[in-house]
Amino acid sequence: MTHRPYTPWLFLAPGLAICLLFVIFPFLNMIVLAFTDASALGGGQFTGVENFARMVQDPKFWAAARNSLLYMAGVVPPLVLLPLLIAMLAQKIVPGIGIFRTAFFTPVIASTVVVGLIWTWLLDSRGLVNNLVEALGGSRIGFLTDSTLLLISSMVVTVWRGLGYYMVIYLAALANVPKDLHEAAMVDGAGPVRRFWSVTVPSLRPTMVLVAALSAVNGFRVFSEIYLLSGGTGGPGGASTTLVMLIQSVGRGLTGEVGYASALSVVLFVILLGLLLVTLKLNRREDQL
Amino acid sequence: MKRRTFLAGLAAVPVAGCGLSGTSSTNTATNGQVTGEITFQTWSLKPKYTDYVNGVVDAFQKQHQGTTVKWVDQPADGYLAKVMADASAGSLPDVINVPPDLSFPLAKAGQLVDLDESLKDAKPEYLENAWQAFEIPGKGGCYGFPWYLNTGPIFYNKALFSQAGLDPDKPPTNFKELETQALKLAEKKVAILGQTPSIADFGLYGVKLFENDKFTFNEPKGVEFVESYKRMYDAGALIPEALTQNYTGAGAKFMAQQTALNPGSAYDLGKFKTDAPSLYANIGITTPITNTGSANMFLHGVSVPKSSKNQATALAFGRFLTNAENQVKFAKLASIFPSTSKGGDDPYFTTEDGTDEARVRVAAAKQLKTAVNYTPVQFSDQMREALLQQLADAMLGKKSPKQALDAAVDECNRLLK
Repeated sequence: MTHRPYTPWLFLAPGLAICLLFVIFPFLNMIVLAFTDASALGGGQFTGVENFARMVQDPKFWAAARNSLLYMAGVVPPLVLLPLLIAMLAQKIVPGIGIFRTAFFTPVIASTVVVGLIWTWLLDSRGLVNNLVEALGGSRIGFLTDSTLLLISSMVVTVWRGLGYYMVIYLAALANVPKDLHEAAMVDGAGPVRRFWSVTVPSLRPTMVLVAALSAVNGFRVFSEIYLLSGGTGGPGGASTTLVMLIQSVGRGLTGEVGYASALSVVLFVILLGLLLVTLKLNRREDQL
Repeated sequence: MKRRTFLAGLAAVPVAGCGLSGTSSTNTATNGQVTGEITFQTWSLKPKYTDYVNGVVDAFQKQHQGTTVKWVDQPADGYLAKVMADASAGSLPDVINVPPDLSFPLAKAGQLVDLDESLKDAKPEYLENAWQAFEIPGKGGCYGFPWYLNTGPIFYNKALFSQAGLDPDKPPTNFKELETQALKLAEKKVAILGQTPSIADFGLYGVKLFENDKFTFNEPKGVEFVESYKRMYDAGALIPEALTQNYTGAGAKFMAQQTALNPGSAYDLGKFKTDAPSLYANIGITTPITNTGSANMFLHGVSVPKSSKNQATALAFGRFLTNAENQVKFAKLASIFPSTSKGGDDPYFTTEDGTDEARVRVAAAKQLKTAVNYTPVQFSDQMREALLQQLADAMLGKKSPKQALDAAVDECNRLLK
């Protein structure tokens, strides 16, 4: 069967057009704007690397970058390990397992705003958790009013939300772990813990790298959790602001500094690209071993 | 008291049927005649006020045969983003509902029609303070028809006042009394406030906010004001969330009876009645806390962009929408007040009928005659955030009140450029 040479392009055209219009063009535009003093209402003048020089001296940028890094470091380990453990429990075919799987997956599909509100009510100074702490004789804890605790509280929400998503990835990977490996290990007298470390983990290593990469990227560009738990303020004095929150704060509204926000976005892009390249390299090395 | 009091009043209604874009006119009147099609964009008025707005549109179309007004309503969420996108693209609707702080950057960028120039006889039809709110300070020109206004009383929780041994019939009337009573309430573990001061609160305290094209709220009086808040914060008179709270959050804390006092509007009273009946049973209503004798005022207006291809019709509609008759009708529906010079003379705003609602309404209408829109039009969202963050640092003791205010003023002046 023959076809005209442009036929595949016709099929690709709608997707390509959307990609060009809503991804490639805004991305290129962002790079151009990063070198200008553009505002929301004007194209701005070319200012060279002024925005980047300002960034280096901007304490808010360094604080936000530090918070984003801390956030990433805080959420990646639990998001690599906890969903794996849950997936191992959820893969067992027992009556009612569907309910558990659904329960773990529900936070993934729940509205971010609803999730934010629920956790705000829980962690508020007069919320359920603090009432419980007080009832047990403790004093109220500033989960949402202390900048460090606010970051940790947001990390907890991110982990809670991510459990179900990564659990599904692990469930798919677990189904591909050869059963005969487990059987051989059992014959050799390996217990469940030994089998987990010597059979399950090595088999799942590529998946774990993938989960680590995805959760690191998502952790570094966290926005919704901190935004919602801090009422959009980035915590007291803005001390819990992350890089994406800073971009939003600088660039929003009719008076937004679009040029500077674009420069911040370029830096965020470079950091994330670096992160992905490192992960890719690690993954390749795993494959070669 | 904050602008959001007022916005929340109208934005709190469920919004439906949105998502229409503000396209400019297609049927153009090029000779200054009132004819052709225009687009009119409002801020979260559907569905509660659909009938009212449709009635105004119909009346205008009947009065000006050959005109068509296409009404689009945008939800409160994302309204600024929508205006920003339209302004960047040069495709703002012909008549657009904006508060002064939103009209200011548009006017500064030369995107709005100057009403002082285009409609020289319109100014006397409106309250002077409302008309001034749409001027660019120091540069003249008015860039919006004042539309609806609001101001409000202070609500306080009589039960919490009694619990702390305070006279529930003697709420604070100035900032000195506020601190004294706040410290007494704090001794009984009752927080009086749910928020650090906004820029308008600085104005109410009597601080000079803006002079000679620069922010000046770090003057000694401003420092004195923050020091007072610091003493209250240290004593526990502000809830911990006050450092990050917006107006809505502070209102929710008052409704939950976690704070003893909160500024509000006539709209809030209805909300307390239905959503917090136990608070409503103990509600105290008093005049705004001010050192200047003038209350704070919030307002909305409608502006006509220069990009409108049908400016004559757009200007005529803007004026018609905001005339005394239409404003009074709207005010009666929405717990707001007219901005026309004669609108407030309607008996609805001058006569009490024994209900709390009427008492609040009449008091507010009276208050509006001398009220001031304290928030400088130059005060952007980024500046609000800078002030909030610096005040948090001052409350936490990371900076002295003077250092925090200096930093906030520096940042605001930098953003001004």
